[in-house]
Amino acid sequence: MAHDEKLIQKLAEKAKIIRRDAVEMIRAGKLGWIGGSFSQADIITALVFHHMKHDPKNQDMAERDRLIVSKAHCCETVYAALGEAGYFSKELYQSYGQMGATLQAHTERIVPGVEYSGGSLGEGLSFALGEALAARIDAPKDSSGRAVPRYRVFCIVGDGESNEGQMWEAVMASLHYKVDNLVAILDHNKFQSGGTVEERLNMMPWVDKWKAFGWDTTEIDGHDFEAILTALENADKVKGKPHAIIAHTIKCKGVPSFEHKNLHFGNISDEMYAEAMKALK
Amino acid sequence: MKLNYVLEPLGEMKAMYQAYHEEMVELSQKNNKIVLLYGDFPHGAAGDLLQKDHPDRVYDVGIAEANLITTAAGMAGGGYLPFTHCHSIFAVGRAYNQIRQNVAFDRLNVKIVLCNSGMLWPFMGGSHQMIEEIAALRAIPNMVLVSPGDPVSTKKMTHALAEHVGPSALRISNPAVPTVYRDDFPFELGKAVTLTDGNDATIISTGMMLSDALEAADTLAKEGIKVRLLDMHTLKPIDEGAIIKAAKETGAIVTVEDSSIIGGLGGAVAEIVAETATATVKRVGIQDRFGQSGTVPELKEEYKISARDIIQAVRDSVKKK
Repeated sequence: MAHDEKLIQKLAEKAKIIRRDAVEMIRAGKLGWIGGSFSQADIITALVFHHMKHDPKNQDMAERDRLIVSKAHCCETVYAALGEAGYFSKELYQSYGQMGATLQAHTERIVPGVEYSGGSLGEGLSFALGEALAARIDAPKDSSGRAVPRYRVFCIVGDGESNEGQMWEAVMASLHYKVDNLVAILDHNKFQSGGTVEERLNMMPWVDKWKAFGWDTTEIDGHDFEAILTALENADKVKGKPHAIIAHTIKCKGVPSFEHKNLHFGNISDEMYAEAMKALK
Repeated sequence: MKLNYVLEPLGEMKAMYQAYHEEMVELSQKNNKIVLLYGDFPHGAAGDLLQKDHPDRVYDVGIAEANLITTAAGMAGGGYLPFTHCHSIFAVGRAYNQIRQNVAFDRLNVKIVLCNSGMLWPFMGGSHQMIEEIAALRAIPNMVLVSPGDPVSTKKMTHALAEHVGPSALRISNPAVPTVYRDDFPFELGKAVTLTDGNDATIISTGMMLSDALEAADTLAKEGIKVRLLDMHTLKPIDEGAIIKAAKETGAIVTVEDSSIIGGLGGAVAEIVAETATATVKRVGIQDRFGQSGTVPELKEEYKISARDIIQAVRDSVKKK
């Protein structure tokens, strides 16, 4: 079912803002992960600005949904989304990645709105699992006897990150415990640090793997808000198993001349800055 | 001179894991935030009981220690008090980064129970005998690391860790060990316990070597060597004051542990003494070797951590004074 045009437009606007702000951050820090930050930007936008239940004015609210960005190096669009949502002042962007900064180079729990201190890939889904299990303890049961979770947990994982064995430990345990308030979103941008994911460690077929582990698995265009929102809403409806959304994305999506290139980690030159700001107007 | 809370003769033999569970049965009934997580590990009395009444507070993630530790961290994030259970070698060995990054880095309130810690785990062989856990864990900021020497102190330490807010690890040995302490012995996290008084030398012990250290102190007393015996149950934060005092007042320290002398208790004591006081430090412990199959007495003999080795070390140290 199609979503309201105005909502889609609002999300598209927010996604531009967070991409622009991410560029500013990387310029300030003189280093950053533009590619992976941009590929996940639309997913982050859909979650933070629409789908998730949370309140920047009541940040520790017990029933807030959790966003666990396991691919924590792609922190810039996470910070930008939280800044835009009002978790902290955008003044913090200027000190990103520098001595004394609140905005460290990998997301940390010291940042208002950040639930997970990442940096070591493959671990976030386990953390997300723990949070999702905690949401159900002593929760009141519905008529079918199912404990109704107090909150949902959304975990963004990378495709390079999926090389890590621990992630699959969490995949297995999540199925075993029927953790249906857990949604893993694979930001499948086809690259990892050293090259394409096929060149580094070929993990095809991607979708089949999650299905084989028993998760409720959907495949979408990770830059289509309609598709993102529909997939998230369907995840709410399916009970009894965890949900995987395999989102096909483009590394550095948002600035056409940067797209499909493995702009993994580095600074943003004056030329790149000018191009980015033009594309993200 | 032996302090009056030290049992004489020693009390019943009991495995630390059993003592731990006796305490956990009580704690998990009283505190409904406690969650028990296992890595395909015996659930024990506490896990079995909790499974009946509160199955949503018991989880087994299978043979997946990394997931075990990080899932616990997530539960702490969700407001609960998780205790994880798996073999020490796999908790620290396989899930070192998870302990360091998912728990310690954010000071999350996770209790890591290091089951079957140290060299003195009979039969299983070198792949399972964990000698590096003290060295590894005490270097991690924000960690609290405790190593009880008998079943009574195991219970007190379990209780203390449940009350302490912050990343914590509890060394639990495999074999049954004698009860050394009276139930009401003076216990405080971070404070060494004095078992015998003396100024000729100091023995500082951690973990299950406590009863061997006590035996050594008794034998030495008969030879006229009055030894101060300290149970350094808390390895981090270590009782620096007690170490410095012992160094100044006795001049000769012998450390005793069933872990590697490199970076273990011996390393920790040597670091402090070298910086602040004057005393010799002789380290009785595993001398940079991997383990092997054997019974507990055989392992003590082979790896030179028997009461005899402690006695000889003290005699040598006193001679050098």
